[in-house]
Amino acid sequence: MLSLTVLYDIECGLCRRAHEWLADQLKLVELNFVPCASDEARRRYPQLNHDLTKQDLTVITEDGWVYFGPKAWLMVLWALARYRDWSYRLAAPELLPTTKRVVSAISQNRYQISRAAGLSN
Amino acid sequence: MTIGLSTYLIYLAISIALTIWVGRTLHKNGRVFLVDVFHGNEALADSVNHLLVVGFYLINFGYVSLVLNLGYTIETAEQSVEALSVKIGMVLLVLGGMHLFNLFVFSRMRRRAHTHQQPPVGPDAFTTVQQEAA
Repeated sequence: MLSLTVLYDIECGLCRRAHEWLADQLKLVELNFVPCASDEARRRYPQLNHDLTKQDLTVITEDGWVYFGPKAWLMVLWALARYRDWSYRLAAPELLPTTKRVVSAISQNRYQISRAAGLSN
Repeated sequence: MTIGLSTYLIYLAISIALTIWVGRTLHKNGRVFLVDVFHGNEALADSVNHLLVVGFYLINFGYVSLVLNLGYTIETAEQSVEALSVKIGMVLLVLGGMHLFNLFVFSRMRRRAHTHQQPPVGPDAFTTVQQEAA
């Protein structure tokens, strides 16, 4: 696996800020960012449910394996040199339910969080 | 030369020889492990191997030096042999402990290097990927 495609929500300030932060990180796996449900995303993945990708972060491997929501976040962490160890810790059976709850809560409230943090347009 | 001084000198000679022997064994046989851990990067493996051995020597020579003092006077050859057996036995145990610890570190590094190639979670679904137009 040499690269991951990240489908992110370009309309969310928090997501754009996260995108900028990721761009500066040292990566073990290449990350390509494509806005979710965009023409580019539809062209690359004709069979994907693009309405679903608007709800939460989606990561797709070169071979077409899809990671959605909290798993996509863990895959992004795994791609980063500094945080690969954390991706395993957060994915351990004891921590995975908490990880999923926290990540889902952030994803579902991302517009409110963006507004509160002054990151929206 | 008094029997006490000879006891100290014999102790130092045996301890130093043992430490160097174990250190060289670690250095020679640890390299293969480290080359594997660092995915064939031999320069990095050699560097880490050398640094580990330096640490090993520092700890062992430090210990040998710290426990040199017997705290009593030796008068007979029998006492000298007894004192030597206790001191060298302690050095051997510390060397053994360090050696096992080193093996533990090597095998742990090796396991991590191998397992961490796999993603932390399994995928949710599969989709076809449209290849870039040539």
